[in-house]
Amino acid sequence: MTIQQLINGISLGSVYALIAVGFALIFNILKFSNFSHGGLMSVTAYIGYIAAIVLMNYIDSLPLFMATLVAAALGGGLLALVVERVAFRRLRSNNSPVIYYFISSITMGILLENILTIFASSNFYSYPPFLPAAVINFGKFTIAIPDLLMLFFSTSSLGILLFVLHKTKIGLAIRTMSFDINTAKLMGMDPNAVVAATFFASGVLGGISGVFLGINYTLYPQLGQMIVKGFVASVIGGLGSITGALIGAVLLGVLEIFLIGSVGAGWAPVFVFIIMLVFLLLRPRGIAGVVVQEKA
Amino acid sequence: MSQLEVKNISKAFGGVKAIDNFSFAVGQHDIVGIIGPNGAGKTTAFNLLTGVYPLDSGQVLLNGTDISKLPQHEIARAGMARTFQNIRLFRGLSVLENVMTAADPYSPYNLLDVLFYSSRKRHNEEAARKQGSEYLKIVGLEGYENERPESLPYGLQRKLEIARALATNPKVLLLDEPAAGLNPSEVREFIELVKRLHKQFDFSIIIIEHRLEVIMELSSQIFVLNFGKLLASGTPSEVVGNKAVTEAYLGEEDESCLI
Amino acid sequence: MEYILSTLTFTGISLIGVLGVYLVTGLTGLFSFGQAAFLAIGAYVSAVLVKNFAVSLPLAAIIAMLTGLLAGLVVGVPTVRLRRDYISLVTFGFGEAIIATLNNSTNITGGATGLSGVPQYTNFWVVLVTVIICLAIVIGYKHSKYGRQCLALRSDELAAKAMGINVERLKLITFLIASVMTSFAGVLYVFYTSYVEPGAFGWVVSAEWTIIVFVGGINSLTGAVAASILLTGLPEMLRFASEWRIIIYCVIVLLIINFRPTGIFGENELSLRRIKQFIRKGAKAA
Repeated sequence: MTIQQLINGISLGSVYALIAVGFALIFNILKFSNFSHGGLMSVTAYIGYIAAIVLMNYIDSLPLFMATLVAAALGGGLLALVVERVAFRRLRSNNSPVIYYFISSITMGILLENILTIFASSNFYSYPPFLPAAVINFGKFTIAIPDLLMLFFSTSSLGILLFVLHKTKIGLAIRTMSFDINTAKLMGMDPNAVVAATFFASGVLGGISGVFLGINYTLYPQLGQMIVKGFVASVIGGLGSITGALIGAVLLGVLEIFLIGSVGAGWAPVFVFIIMLVFLLLRPRGIAGVVVQEKA
Repeated sequence: MSQLEVKNISKAFGGVKAIDNFSFAVGQHDIVGIIGPNGAGKTTAFNLLTGVYPLDSGQVLLNGTDISKLPQHEIARAGMARTFQNIRLFRGLSVLENVMTAADPYSPYNLLDVLFYSSRKRHNEEAARKQGSEYLKIVGLEGYENERPESLPYGLQRKLEIARALATNPKVLLLDEPAAGLNPSEVREFIELVKRLHKQFDFSIIIIEHRLEVIMELSSQIFVLNFGKLLASGTPSEVVGNKAVTEAYLGEEDESCLI
Repeated sequence: MEYILSTLTFTGISLIGVLGVYLVTGLTGLFSFGQAAFLAIGAYVSAVLVKNFAVSLPLAAIIAMLTGLLAGLVVGVPTVRLRRDYISLVTFGFGEAIIATLNNSTNITGGATGLSGVPQYTNFWVVLVTVIICLAIVIGYKHSKYGRQCLALRSDELAAKAMGINVERLKLITFLIASVMTSFAGVLYVFYTSYVEPGAFGWVVSAEWTIIVFVGGINSLTGAVAASILLTGLPEMLRFASEWRIIIYCVIVLLIINFRPTGIFGENELSLRRIKQFIRKGAKAA
């Protein structure tokens, strides 16, 4: 593991962190794995693309990049609100068992992906080059400018999210509901508003993730399947913990870069699977996860 | 030898000691009660005995055998059956199937019998059905075989839980607040049911209850828990007369309300 | 006629996969995103053995099923101890790992471009017989102590353990049966289409099967069968393009979630008793 690999790994990890935290937010409050997040990321990647193409004529470089991010973030937030309304609201009011949320989220994800496939599949789109493909050297190590910017924006967005969660009223509400949604209701909180806010936040993060994925991998409808990285990161970090998701994501990024370097991109998924399996057997609650003991 | 011997069990969650050095014993074919204020650790004790939580320390001996380190299902098969404070019946199965399932782990046919639709399977299923119906009859649920457990009224659901526990052929039956939510006539019915079960079967019974009339009438011994520790033990009259118990638990009530 | 038979054959093969998911998800409550991997294992192992090593078809099929069983053990043994959410992740990882392995073993499997030139042995009748046998197995399993214990542990794992049910062992047994069944379906599949490539066995297929079970009614075997025939067979016959078929699936599922959450059949099963009741009611009305 070289330092250069470490740097690349952290950079990749920061993108995964956005995905993982967006995923973990929903898991904390509604206790299910929101697989539709993947579809959302794909859609927002395309939203960002459209914004970029339109605005390309007026601004460029860093402002264009930021404008794209904002467009995708807003688009993501709004889409998340729609998804919540369509796929999950009724389940909450019916008090449906968790299985149904699961199915609903997968279905939603597949639906979004396939809508994209119909309207956009035949062509491969890619983002206009916002930024010079230059690299910054410090000492023996290099980091590409796009990677650096993504690292910066990921960290800032996550920082803002943590600030909101811990220092604002709505953040407190979200955290409270994550503990126990029923008691929070009894205390007078409006679950619909808080859940909507959580989804919005998750959608914003998803939007930013979408753009970053689009930059890294070009645009195609299955882009959102990267959600699995978010899930894996959350599991390693510990389901139920935002900081855990962060740590897990960075670890995963570093691990992947290392594996690609040693066994090649083809075999990497196999090794990730094996490592994850071993990890789950040895420490099922993850690094920072909470052990939820079922009471009788 | 006692049927069940619990020696110095302890369990802490985080920094809180839920059960602290709790010991007690249940004689053969005996009925004992565990009482205590809310949060005293009664259900936690049951969970420790049945293996839901691992013990931090201590031992549980069933007929002389140490069952402390066994997984939950093996403790059940060793003879510790239980009902739950918050009813936990199996949805998706009928009332009869709920009872049959508790006997299934002991059913003697195997996968090959299933794949080839052997007569062994058919006979065993028939026998299981009959046996299950018997248990339902014993608790008074005859006729409800094909109902969904969720559709039963509360009192009947509690009876079903007992029938299901009976089907595991227990040596010790643990009843966790079995009279909670029952109206006075149902409570009376329940007390009579326990007496019938005690006469008909050989197992011992441990009851956690808040309803004192249940405990007083049924138990030969009572153990009082407070803050996870054994506060007092003895016969019902001894415990009721015990000043410390009165203060900790019965404190607010006027003593003339008792008995 | 040819086309109808072909559609029915595919529907039958798909139904076997759905039955496997019914066992694992409907009866036992485990969400497996890797079921399609067993399809791949069955297909590739048997195809490679027959094509490259001139093994006879029956022997190849048996070896394929044993391989599926082995793979099921490898994934199943650790999985059955995990929390529900993790099971889907691990099975997903397993599926992807299998696909990656197939993609990379270019020498044996032809890699991403696929394996072709496989002789065609499967026909509609073979599939029909297999479907009937699998249905018999699943019905027998459901109406046995195994089925009951699975439903019990699906409903309340803690209470199941408290009644002496060996939860892990049951999950594993059910999982293995589904693995073997699905592997055999893979054998049928490859010797019908004469061509396979790793991409056809992704998690989306497993998810589709799960959705079908759910749409039919997660508690109903009849529902699973009906939904499978409907959702696989009908679009094929009506020649929808495959992307629209999936969108229609999704919309149906979302509608059902919102308006009939227990699925089309809900808890109801087709049974002799029900049919007689139905006929009697009809006779009374007439």
